[in-house]
Amino acid sequence: MAGAGGPARLLELFGTMLATRRFEEVVYALFAEGHFSGHYHLYIGQEATGAAVIGHLSGRDTIFSTHRNHGHLLARGGDPAAALAEILGRAGGIGGGRLGTFHLADPAIGMPHTSALVGGAVPLAAGSAFGAKLLKTGGVSVGFFGDGAFEEGVVFETLNLAQLWRIPVLFVCENNTPGALTRAEGGSNTSYLPGGRVSPVPEALGIPTHVVDGADLEAVDALAADALARVRRDGGPVFVEALTIRWPGNQSQYPTMATGETDLAMAWDAGRIGNEHRGWFAADDPVLRAARRLLELGAADAAALQAMDAQVRARMAAARETALASPLPDPATALDHVLAGAAR
Amino acid sequence: MTYSEALLGAIVEAMDEDERVALVWGSLGGVSGIKLDFGSLRDRHADRIVDPPISEAGIVGIATGAAMAGLRPIVPIGTGSFLFRAWDQLIHEAGGAHYMSNGRVTAPLVIHIRHGMRGGGGVQHSQSPQAMLWNAPGIEIAMPSTPADAKGLMRTAIFSDNPTVFLDHQMLLRREGPVPDGKHAVPFGKAAVARPGRDVTVVAASLQVVAALAAAATLAADGIEAEVIDLRSLVPLDQEAILNSVGRTGRLVVADECAPRCSIASEIAATVAEKGFDLLKKAPVRVNRLPSHVASSPVLEDALRPDAGRIAAAVRGLMD
Ligand SMILES: Cc1ncc(C[n+]2csc(CCOP(=O)(O)OP(=O)(O)O)c2C)c(N)n1
Ligand SMILES: [Mg+2]
Repeated sequence: MAGAGGPARLLELFGTMLATRRFEEVVYALFAEGHFSGHYHLYIGQEATGAAVIGHLSGRDTIFSTHRNHGHLLARGGDPAAALAEILGRAGGIGGGRLGTFHLADPAIGMPHTSALVGGAVPLAAGSAFGAKLLKTGGVSVGFFGDGAFEEGVVFETLNLAQLWRIPVLFVCENNTPGALTRAEGGSNTSYLPGGRVSPVPEALGIPTHVVDGADLEAVDALAADALARVRRDGGPVFVEALTIRWPGNQSQYPTMATGETDLAMAWDAGRIGNEHRGWFAADDPVLRAARRLLELGAADAAALQAMDAQVRARMAAARETALASPLPDPATALDHVLAGAAR
Repeated sequence: MTYSEALLGAIVEAMDEDERVALVWGSLGGVSGIKLDFGSLRDRHADRIVDPPISEAGIVGIATGAAMAGLRPIVPIGTGSFLFRAWDQLIHEAGGAHYMSNGRVTAPLVIHIRHGMRGGGGVQHSQSPQAMLWNAPGIEIAMPSTPADAKGLMRTAIFSDNPTVFLDHQMLLRREGPVPDGKHAVPFGKAAVARPGRDVTVVAASLQVVAALAAAATLAADGIEAEVIDLRSLVPLDQEAILNSVGRTGRLVVADECAPRCSIASEIAATVAEKGFDLLKKAPVRVNRLPSHVASSPVLEDALRPDAGRIAAAVRGLMD
């Protein structure tokens, strides 16, 4: 399938994907070094979906995300340093340390709120689009959520309402259960759905529904262009199920760096791929896949991709330093922002 | 033995003993945050253990119906914040079942959650829903603080004929302590004197008992003897134990991780003001989580926490 904007656009989206990958590697290292504690989730393996869908949005549009939000924030233009500072609980974080990794969001970039409760933000995405429709802003919304969200009743209610009330919202279910170990095998498959698929439900409600390989940058880019055009034109919901193979580092509850820091050269030098996680490196990793496609299309050569990577890494290293230098919040502000308006 | 080992021990024992203890959802192994060997339990009772999808409302509703049909389901919801998804099924259906049958139907299910500030849980993974639950009729509430009570109260919860919400504090799961062997039951509605003292009564439950004991230890160094009352269950509540203690000390501090409005501390203070006004030398003091959401940043989280330092300071304020 041809991308919506040709090789140059794919290269740009690849930049977003790579930035997300390097960002997540920094998050992993910060956790491993003990700079923050608690549970956290990485977007590795799903970068193509977030980058391609969000790449089609304008400033009037909004997105809503989940516990696995880092990639959505970055694709929407979030500042990596402020995002890392937020994950570290620093005053310089996007939310002053109140949000943490679970709830990264930034109203300044059209991302008002992130719910870490499964399915929690799906109705908010529809509501934001409903508001935009009534206020005639011309904006639409995208709700990102996992396959697990389909086990929650509120998601069904929202789909039905979005269709009934003709709400201009794009639902993007990132189904990462393919390839996941089940819980009985010690893994963390995130849903128990018939056939492992969610798309029959929106189809049954009459919502235009598409299934796409979520790790295929070009395919998601093209589909997202069509789907968002349709949402804007028809003023009703469209549903996309993006299937991605589970990243080996995501098999248990806590991420592991099972596949190590991404070696971009594997995209053009198959000799660097060993036997361990061979399938991931050779076929599944969306970053390596996109790099191979760019080389194929002649959009860039290996040297250009490597130079791009060096730049991205330098940017993330700087973001890491900025975040670590950010001061801790002032405990005296612990009661701020509970209610809007003057303190009471 | 750790708290979580003791808790799970009670469940294993009940499942082996009574085939009505039937729906132990598969996420139970996650109760501990520590990997526990559940393999043989699953093998022995495969038909009574099922894996939960992310469907809190449906699961609590199905467990309620199954309890009406004669099972004694144990439903681990995981993080207490997720229980709100099942609120309607819990409050209206499980909580209403007995009343709505004019006393003929019972719904003996146990809902298990891990509540509280866990360090980095943030707004949506740190809830302490016990005060909100306490406002609902028809539901028993157990909140142990020791491994022995975790075991003994769980047994009582399983064999109680009412819906029970069983709350473990996230930070108690690794607490060590002696645990009686065999079938150990701790009745609901019997508070424990976790530490005797003559000067002031500190009432607490769950992790706040640990904080109160730490406060009592520092106060003792200054010659102030705090009596720590561990409520163990909120429904039923052992009012007598609280009033007896206040009768001896004349002073009351209540330590509570809920935000102050309509909290555990509010209810205990009101109860003592109403029924033991003459016993009090000073107005009761509530030590609560400050009235805000729980921030993700540890610095802001710490600023909200009712801890030993704040409990000790509250006691000192009563002692002049
Ligand atoms: C209401 C609720 N129940 C349970 C959880 C615990 N939980 C966190 S992530 C997760 C799995 C989510 O799976 P999915 O929606 O597919 O997202 P993924 O992690 O696979 O991206 C669960 C059960 C939660 N956060 N919220
Ligand atoms: Mg999933």
